Amino acid sequence: MITMGIDIGSLLSKVVIMDGDSLISSGIVDTTGNIAGEIDGLVASVLSDAGIGRDKLEGAAGTGSGAELLENVDFREDEVTCVGTAAGYLLPEISMAVDIGGQSITAILLDAEGEVINFMRNDKCASGSGRFLEVMSGAVGIGVDAIDETAAGAKKPVHISSQCGVFAESEVISHVNAGEDAADIVAGLCEAVANIVAAQARKFGAEEKYTLTGGVARIDTISKVISGKLGGTFFPFPHDPRLASAIGAALLAGME
Amino acid sequence: MFAGIDIGSLTAQAVLLEDGNVTLSKSISVRPNPVESARAVMGQLLEENNLSWGDIGYCVSTGYGREKIQGEGMAQENVSEISCHGLGALSLVPQVRTVIDIGGQDAKVIRVDGAGELVDFVMNDKCAAGTGRFLEVMCRTLGVALEDLGPMSQGARGHIHLSSRCSIYAETEVLHYLQRGVDMASLAAGINRSMAHRVIALVRRVGVEKEVLMSGGVAKNVAVRAELEKMMNVKMVTPRLDPQLVGAFGAAVMARKASGAA
Repeated sequence: MITMGIDIGSLLSKVVIMDGDSLISSGIVDTTGNIAGEIDGLVASVLSDAGIGRDKLEGAAGTGSGAELLENVDFREDEVTCVGTAAGYLLPEISMAVDIGGQSITAILLDAEGEVINFMRNDKCASGSGRFLEVMSGAVGIGVDAIDETAAGAKKPVHISSQCGVFAESEVISHVNAGEDAADIVAGLCEAVANIVAAQARKFGAEEKYTLTGGVARIDTISKVISGKLGGTFFPFPHDPRLASAIGAALLAGME
Repeated sequence: MFAGIDIGSLTAQAVLLEDGNVTLSKSISVRPNPVESARAVMGQLLEENNLSWGDIGYCVSTGYGREKIQGEGMAQENVSEISCHGLGALSLVPQVRTVIDIGGQDAKVIRVDGAGELVDFVMNDKCAAGTGRFLEVMCRTLGVALEDLGPMSQGARGHIHLSSRCSIYAETEVLHYLQRGVDMASLAAGINRSMAHRVIALVRRVGVEKEVLMSGGVAKNVAVRAELEKMMNVKMVTPRLDPQLVGAFGAAVMARKASGAA
C-alpha cells in the first residue's frame, strides 16, 4: 500500500512516500512563510523520485505545527501520535522516543504495542531545541550541519552553565571572544543540549530502551552524550530522524 | 566618607556618602571582569571629585564579584545585592516595603520590614524573560535604542500580543510582526506589556505591600512602570536617585552603619 506523510514543522517541512513500512522516497525543505504554496512542489518531486504517480497514492496524512495549512490530505494527526507510531512501529523493542524538534522537546512513552501511553513536552522555552542549537552554533560562526565535524577535534569542552538560550548565547560569545577553541566550545554546546534533553527524558524515570528523533538527533555528538547520560540501550532511528513524524503520518494513513 | 560599589551585568555603579546627605555617584559600562569594573568606576568617581582611595573610611561591595572586590582591598565588606537593594530603597523612602529590582540579567522582588530587615524575596536569574536582557534582545530586533522603547509605546493606539514567554521565540514573533508592517508604537507597547507580565508573575509570588519602589535599569522604562502600576493597582514611589544606583547607595548606607557612624 503506497501512502504519503507530510510534516510541516516549525523550521523544516518533510514529505515521505512509504510502501507499507518501507520508505521509498523523501524530501525536506525549510518552512517558509509561503509553505502552503511550496509544499506541492516538494510533494511532486518526492513522488517523481519514487517513480509513483499521484493517482497511485492510497492514503495521505498531515502533521506538524502547520498541518492545518495542508489541503490534499485525508486527515491530520498530532506530532506526538505520529512520532510515537513511527518509533513504535519501526523499533518494536523501545519504550520511549525523545523527539527534539525545531521548537520543542517531547518525551513520548510507548507501551509494548507501540501505542503512546503518555508524553511530556517543552515548547514554551527554546532551551535544548533545534532553535537553541541554531542560535548557539551561529554564535560560534558555524552552521548546524558542521557541529559534528567541529566538535570532533575537542580537547577540553567548555562548560555552559545557562539553560536559557539568551544567556547561553552570551556565554558562548564570551568563550569565542576569550579565544577558546571552536571545537571545545561546540563540544560544550553539545554537552549542554544533551543535559537539557536528558533531564526532560528522565522525567519519566529510567527507560531501558529508547530512540531519538527530530533534527537534533541527527547530530551524533549530541546523541552519544544523551545516550551516555540516560544509560539503557539507545536504538538509532533507522532513517533520517527528522523524518520520524512524516513517516508516522504515512504509516497511520496506511492503517486507516 | 562611606562608599558603595555595585557591579551589575551591564553597568557598574559607585556611590560616596558625605555626612549622610551629600551623595556622589558614577555609573559606567562593565569592564571584562568585576574587579576591573570596580577599580574603574570608583577610580573615576574619586578623580572627578578630587578625592583619593584614602578618603574612603569604609566601603561595601555588592553585585557580581563582590568577594573578589573585597579580596583586592577595595572594600572592607561584601553584602548581597538583595540586602543592599532593600536597605537602599528604605533609606531613600522609609515607607518602602516592596522593592522590584530588574537588572540586565536578573529580576528580584524583595520585601522588607520597617527596619530594613529582609522579610521575603524571589529571584529569576535562570531565564531572560522578565529581565533587562529581554528588552535588549527586542530592541536589537527592532533596531531601536533601549532608552527609546518606553517613550516609543506611549500613545500607541494598540499593542501586539506576544504569545511566547521565551525571548528567542518572542524575537521570531516580533520579526513576523515587523515583516507585516505593524507600526513601531504597537510593537513597543506589546513588548513593554509582555515584560510587565513576566515581572508581575514574579511579584505575585511574594505579594505586594506598599510602598513599592522599582530599582535597576528597567525602572527607567516609563511604559513598563505604568503597566506594572496598572497590574498591581499601586502607584510606585519615585526615589530622588537614579534607580540604577539604588544597590550601590544601599551598599554605602551599609558601610556607614558598619563603621558605627550615625
